Amino acid sequence: MQVKILSARFDIEDAHKIEVAKEHGAYATLDKVFSMEPAEVIEEVKNSGLRGRGGAGFPTGLKWSFLPKGIDKPVYLAVNSDESEPATFKDRYILVRDPHMLIEGIIICCYAIRSNHAYIYIRGEYTTQVKALQAAIDEAYAAGYLGNTVDGKDYAVDITVHRGAGAYVCGEETALLESIEGKKGQPRSKPPFPAVEGLYGCPTIINNVQSIASLPFIITNGADAYKAYGTEKSPGTHLFGISGLVEKPGMYELPLGLPILEVIEKVAGGVKGGKKLKGVIPGGSSTPVLTPEEAKTVTLDYESMAEHKTMFGSGGIVVLDEDVDVVKLVKNLIDFYHHESCGQCTPCREGLGWMLKIVKKILSGNGTIDDVNLLRELCDNIEMKTVCVLSAACTMPVRAFLDKFRHEFEAYVQ
Amino acid sequence: MADMVKLSVNGQEVEVESGKNLIDALGAVGIEIPHLCYHPALGADGNCRMCLVGIEDGRPPLVPACKTPAQEGMKVQLDTDKIKKIQRDIMELELINHPIDCPICDQAGECSLQDYYMQYDGQTSRMNVPQVLKGKKLDFGCGVIHDQERCVLCARCVRFTRQVTKTGELGIVNRTDAARVNIFPGRPLDNRYALNVVDLCPVGAMTSKDFRFKQRVWFLSKDKGICHGCSKGCNIFIDHNREKYKDDIIYRFRPRLNEQVNGYFICDEGRMTYKKENDGRITQAKANGDNCSNEKAVQSLKEALGHASKPAFLVSPNCSMEQIVAVKKLASQHSATVSGFSDGYIKPGDGDDFLIQDDKSANRAGLELLGIDLSKATFDALVEATDLLIVFDNDLSMSLDEAALSALAGKTKIAVVGAYDSPLVGQATFVYPVASYSEYSGTVVNADKVVQTFDTAVVKNDPLEDIVAVAGLLGGEISDNNQAWKEIKVSVEALKDVEPEMIPEQGLALTVDEGSDDAA
Repeated sequence: MQVKILSARFDIEDAHKIEVAKEHGAYATLDKVFSMEPAEVIEEVKNSGLRGRGGAGFPTGLKWSFLPKGIDKPVYLAVNSDESEPATFKDRYILVRDPHMLIEGIIICCYAIRSNHAYIYIRGEYTTQVKALQAAIDEAYAAGYLGNTVDGKDYAVDITVHRGAGAYVCGEETALLESIEGKKGQPRSKPPFPAVEGLYGCPTIINNVQSIASLPFIITNGADAYKAYGTEKSPGTHLFGISGLVEKPGMYELPLGLPILEVIEKVAGGVKGGKKLKGVIPGGSSTPVLTPEEAKTVTLDYESMAEHKTMFGSGGIVVLDEDVDVVKLVKNLIDFYHHESCGQCTPCREGLGWMLKIVKKILSGNGTIDDVNLLRELCDNIEMKTVCVLSAACTMPVRAFLDKFRHEFEAYVQ
Repeated sequence: MADMVKLSVNGQEVEVESGKNLIDALGAVGIEIPHLCYHPALGADGNCRMCLVGIEDGRPPLVPACKTPAQEGMKVQLDTDKIKKIQRDIMELELINHPIDCPICDQAGECSLQDYYMQYDGQTSRMNVPQVLKGKKLDFGCGVIHDQERCVLCARCVRFTRQVTKTGELGIVNRTDAARVNIFPGRPLDNRYALNVVDLCPVGAMTSKDFRFKQRVWFLSKDKGICHGCSKGCNIFIDHNREKYKDDIIYRFRPRLNEQVNGYFICDEGRMTYKKENDGRITQAKANGDNCSNEKAVQSLKEALGHASKPAFLVSPNCSMEQIVAVKKLASQHSATVSGFSDGYIKPGDGDDFLIQDDKSANRAGLELLGIDLSKATFDALVEATDLLIVFDNDLSMSLDEAALSALAGKTKIAVVGAYDSPLVGQATFVYPVASYSEYSGTVVNADKVVQTFDTAVVKNDPLEDIVAVAGLLGGEISDNNQAWKEIKVSVEALKDVEPEMIPEQGLALTVDEGSDDAA
């Protein structure tokens, strides 16, 4: 089931070094890119059907086309490498094992959107990754792939690596921009959208690492070659991080559209110790859980997830076995999102702390059924009332756990 | 006239100003949208979420009114169950970690949380887990005391120090429900407008050290006034109260919106000038050097004036237009000259480019309009020749040092007809206490030539006469404001067609820059 598109060079020794990467095809697509018009590059990416790999799944080429035409401000590319969603561990592989794929993708994107400066916003905890990435960028400058000319072409691309300071919310694209600008990482109200008014007030495109890293393959092999993988509406491949109680947790590149249970069984070796499956979190901690019954009909693509009232997210699949205590899990979830709330909007700032205290009370054995009902009601009261979706990233999975595993909460309050 | 757009609110069509956000646009036609963080002087921040409104067929269908401009054809929903529930839910979340200590909170009675609870919430608390505890009674400097637990993190105070004073002493530290407003360690508020954060704060998180625990605000009478602390003429509320068995006392000044003069703010020094209205007033009348009743004092002074061979008159740049013309008329009846010498009221370099002016008097422009000579030379010549100098509320000790003051007292008899105690009073033969500007009505002209009127705010148990009436008691032909205005219209070209009631709330900006030539 596994494929090697993005991960083609992952297992090659020293592929993070430019000479090894070049031997295996890195930067080979630049001649072709610069022979195309920027609009043609955008069109090719649109045709490939590539969707944003950060979690929202917004079509990448379409996002680029929102840039205003004919303005005299610089355009920026911000590459989102904050990768902070619990259970998500895909971009880190690209950063360490094949950073030149990302750099090549950045050059392609910058050319397409007429940008000369890309920022890579990398989470502060990624110390190994930032070293590998910066070393690769230094190599690329030395080899003439970055700077005032790119591979001898009259086009300038500079890359600045900006390290975050450990805030989940800075993965939200406008909080990310605030953070790069040196301000407190808090999401901005939209509109204006970043494509119109982003970094330093200039038009800015923000893309996930994996989205950008997918570009060299698409340009080299064409949109059709990319669309050969995946489904019609969710084409391509994805780096899935499978974790939790499975025999073989890890990062696997798979085409989209595969049945989720089959992937857990065949790729990840099934539930650990042969135990029964209790549920699957399909795409990172913020996506609503699937019961084993629901999971039977779910395939790993945006449409199937939406049909099952959950989300494809970041491809971080978490497997829960029959022994998992859902109430404790929910406590962990709320604890994380409460800790990471930027504190800007009232509902998120005050509400998540309240939810945390309620679930702790339930866990302590002092809760009542009213507390369970209040917890459930607060999910509705908080969600979608805020500037960004951080609060929803907490309330959506909590609501799903409460609705699908209510008996476990009730057991604590009886 | 601004462009107008038609939109519907709860199905009813209204016409509002285009381009304004929904809070301001609908507020102007009497439709209230609850909000905590938005303030017209600070712009929209969008953090409180209290102003979320529905837009029928809108994308998105739920928007913060503070960030949404009024547009033609918009269908705004304020009374749907969904919006009412959101308002109730947001209020519940605002209050879960709030101490609800209204009985000991100075903001009680003028608190948005209290008002909104009654209007939009009203439910019993469901908070049965421990609240978040934060810092209390933190001294932020400049007389500002902060309570982090009462704070709703609207950031108005933070934005004020960043956008208005540009001093940036305040910030919000920490995230999530540990977020709180704070100063940098050892770097308290340090600007001349800091107390405005107390007014800006929609809740009781920012309180004034000076006002804390002094009065419940619902006992205060809130009357309009004009600050006499400098020549800006900032519009204020004079908040005062007569407690049982006591006299009417002013407890605080607050800024009153006037876009043409001071906007939403006043300076801290001006705000504190209320103390001068309560304390440091002249309380004892004197005649011929001896204490006496007020009636005796004015009678004796009238007699002295009648006997004086060459009386001289000195008015204050704080006197109202009416007072100045009344004194001027009285002087002319005695063929005497009126001086407005008051160099000491000007503190060169003290002003700034916002509100504070160098000139610490309220009506110097009025003196100039009425042709009063402000020069020291004229004053000196006057003093040289006179045997009775009647000083109307002018604190000469600001302009003359002690020796010069004593020398003056040695040369001539001094009569003080004034409100405030000063070293001059000790040198005076006649003293007659009069009303201060919080106790009389009148007209002043500020440094930008904006004419503003004000009414009596405070009525003392034993009201004192206004200088206009005193001029009458001393035999002057003008003894009330109506007579005075007739004279003002004759004397000032720019006001020849103006009646006091024609002067708008925002003041009357004089286009003819009269009298500027004889500025001191």
